[in-house]
Amino acid sequence: MNELIVRPEITPDMFLPIFTISTLVLVFGVAYAATITLAKMGYFSKKWMNLGYLFWALQTYSLYLLSVWIQSEPFTSKVLMVTMLAYLFIPHLYFRLIEDSDRRYDSGNNIAEQKN
Amino acid sequence: MANKNLSVWTSIPFWRRSAAWVTGFASILLIWLTFDTLGQITMGTDDDLKNGVTKRVPAATVINYKIGYEMSTKRGHEVPTIGEKEPFFGKEWSADDAADLLHLGKLTSQTKNCMNCHTLLGNGAYYAPDLTKAWIDPAWSKTGPMMAMTGKSTKEEAIAEFLQHPSTYPTHARMMPELGITADEAKGLVAFLKHMSSIDTNGFPRNFGKEEGSTNAH
Amino acid sequence: MLTSIKENHLTNKGQELGMMYFRVAIILFGAQLVMGLIAAIQFLAPGFLFELFDFSVARMVHINALVVWMLYAMIGATYMMLTDETGHEGVAIGLGKLGFWLLTAAVTVVVLVYIIVQVGPGTEASLWLIHEGREYIEAPRWADIGIVVVVLIFYFNVFATYMKGEKTGIMTVMVANLLALAGLYMAGMFYTDNISMDQFWWWWVIHLWVEATWEVFVGTLAAYALIKIIGAKREIVEMWLWIEVLMLFGSGILGMGHHYFWIGTPEYWWEIGALFSALEPVPLIAMFVHVLYDWGKEQGIAEGRGETASVITNGPAMAWIVTNAFGNFLGAGIWGFFHTLPQVNIYTHGTQFTAAHGHLSFFGAYATILIGMMYYGLQRAYGVQRMKLTFKSKMGIFLTTFGVMGMTIALTIAGYEQVIVERGEMGATWNAFFVAQNLPWYVQAQMWRAIMGVVTLLGFIYLAWDLLTIGKVSKEAEA
Repeated sequence: MNELIVRPEITPDMFLPIFTISTLVLVFGVAYAATITLAKMGYFSKKWMNLGYLFWALQTYSLYLLSVWIQSEPFTSKVLMVTMLAYLFIPHLYFRLIEDSDRRYDSGNNIAEQKN
Repeated sequence: MANKNLSVWTSIPFWRRSAAWVTGFASILLIWLTFDTLGQITMGTDDDLKNGVTKRVPAATVINYKIGYEMSTKRGHEVPTIGEKEPFFGKEWSADDAADLLHLGKLTSQTKNCMNCHTLLGNGAYYAPDLTKAWIDPAWSKTGPMMAMTGKSTKEEAIAEFLQHPSTYPTHARMMPELGITADEAKGLVAFLKHMSSIDTNGFPRNFGKEEGSTNAH
Repeated sequence: MLTSIKENHLTNKGQELGMMYFRVAIILFGAQLVMGLIAAIQFLAPGFLFELFDFSVARMVHINALVVWMLYAMIGATYMMLTDETGHEGVAIGLGKLGFWLLTAAVTVVVLVYIIVQVGPGTEASLWLIHEGREYIEAPRWADIGIVVVVLIFYFNVFATYMKGEKTGIMTVMVANLLALAGLYMAGMFYTDNISMDQFWWWWVIHLWVEATWEVFVGTLAAYALIKIIGAKREIVEMWLWIEVLMLFGSGILGMGHHYFWIGTPEYWWEIGALFSALEPVPLIAMFVHVLYDWGKEQGIAEGRGETASVITNGPAMAWIVTNAFGNFLGAGIWGFFHTLPQVNIYTHGTQFTAAHGHLSFFGAYATILIGMMYYGLQRAYGVQRMKLTFKSKMGIFLTTFGVMGMTIALTIAGYEQVIVERGEMGATWNAFFVAQNLPWYVQAQMWRAIMGVVTLLGFIYLAWDLLTIGKVSKEAEA
């Protein structure tokens, strides 16, 4: 290499951390959704929801690291963090929706179509 | 159904309408962007080349010029460069002849099923090297191994010779099979490869040929 | 499965036609695996069938069999649910059967030409008669036109039946989505000398199929299956279906941008592709939670009524649908996400990473639920009240899933090596490619891929055997 070119460049030893962290983003994301789901469904007590929030925090941190390691623009990193804040509310909105729709469509016990 | 406080969030018509609007909006945006992109990736003309107008996909007559791949500080990645004229198979090709040759080459690249071993612009199968910048690959440069192997004096002749008898010039245990490529089709394929190397791929592949310390071998 | 039509507990002709499509689908699935195995061996022993049946041929038949068997199973599944959903007999099933035989004859000829003729001279005639040499949609032009005709017959059947019958939400999504799915095929039916233009439209077919319309199709099937198999409430399922359509099309249509990073298209696709493809896993998580939640809820209700039995009336179908919920998220979601951002994708584009993602996502997102629908079809064909998992069904589901997962992990390791050495260190040249291909880790990974391919094939044998026998076995057990 004759001259040094300054530009965003992923060095070979950074690939493994990057792939690992992006997998962790989704794994923690699922763990968060799963914990909240199972707690809301009553498979285990509401106390476990705190574990879910811990997963959310880990996910947020992983995404932050990912954005730093792939050398995103500072603006992009900020957008990602705002997105993660939104993700904190999604399961709650989701279950609100499930409960409301259950109450609306499944309460009357009407066996309208049970044809098989 | 006679439930009182019916929330809009559990209303099927609400979600149906939302789905339709979102889908419609995304589709319209895609179509609009498609028009813009089509304008930008339409092949340039011979005049563009003569006047030094940069096109993402230049005219077929780009085969009459030297092609390089260099770092652009403005764009932050490598871009193809179109340099001075050089003969291609010993001559300069007119706009019509060049277009015909490229047509034959692109057609042959499909009928010989290149894409089910190689990748073109990174798409295809992963059994053989990517061909996006094959034309400027150091292996085919004056000092590269392939020229000596095929015993030809120019890069285009060396590549054409290889394409016609690939398993005569094995480079690795994994070889390219004989596909019955004729001399004319081979010429066309070389033109197709040279043309493809002049397409602006936003810096893909990155650091092409970095190892040899030269990215604009010719 | 073979006697499914003779048994004829099917309540309508559409389902008979559906079963016909399923049978061809499963044969093509087998062909796909055999071709994949040949290609996998060629990675390890390049001399294997060299200049006789080259990698390009094996690979072409491998991916074409994949696309075609999935389309067959999708058409089959649609005919399966047509009368159930609309409450109306399919309007032109006789014509539909003619279409089926036309399509099957055409597919046979196309595959024979692929295998025997393999390549043609560089002329337009080769594109019309042999193949078009464009990954996934290689079918020659004459077959393209044939496919359009047959699909028109199919679509006419679905649409006309829908117009005459009841217009449920599931069916409305189905009819609209199929129109888009069929129409998009046209974007891949022309020739151009401009390779950038070529790949631009090629992605319109491939991407808008597998990351938009096929995903919505899966959502529709899952909705129908949840109602039929565990007795989920229609209104709730349909409400979620619309939400899924919103999220899938909302992210998937513009997610197209991630294929436009490096093919000559402008740089603005970086931002669009990154943003929308990062959103693509969201609907997959939602589908995943929704399937499991509904199952848990219906089971809870049944237990509340004092019933001890499972609410699942079709064990194998439900097992495949749950595998789908996981597989879709893992294959399309995780394996898609970790190479979709342009900063990373410039290194991973066109490496074994893509192959890893391709294997797990096609299997997880599509193969699973379509096989589930085949089991559902068998249950109906034999008039079985409750279809339970047999030993063979369990082996089928376990071995195929384990095999595909193993191939995916092996290919991911191979892709990782390739990214580091070929792309990161050596700059993607011809030489760099071969250096990376000969690394010990890469070669070992390819070895494991071949072994896991054999495991998948074993799983398939169990699966096919089970599909052939489970109907009769379940019927006799109930009698």
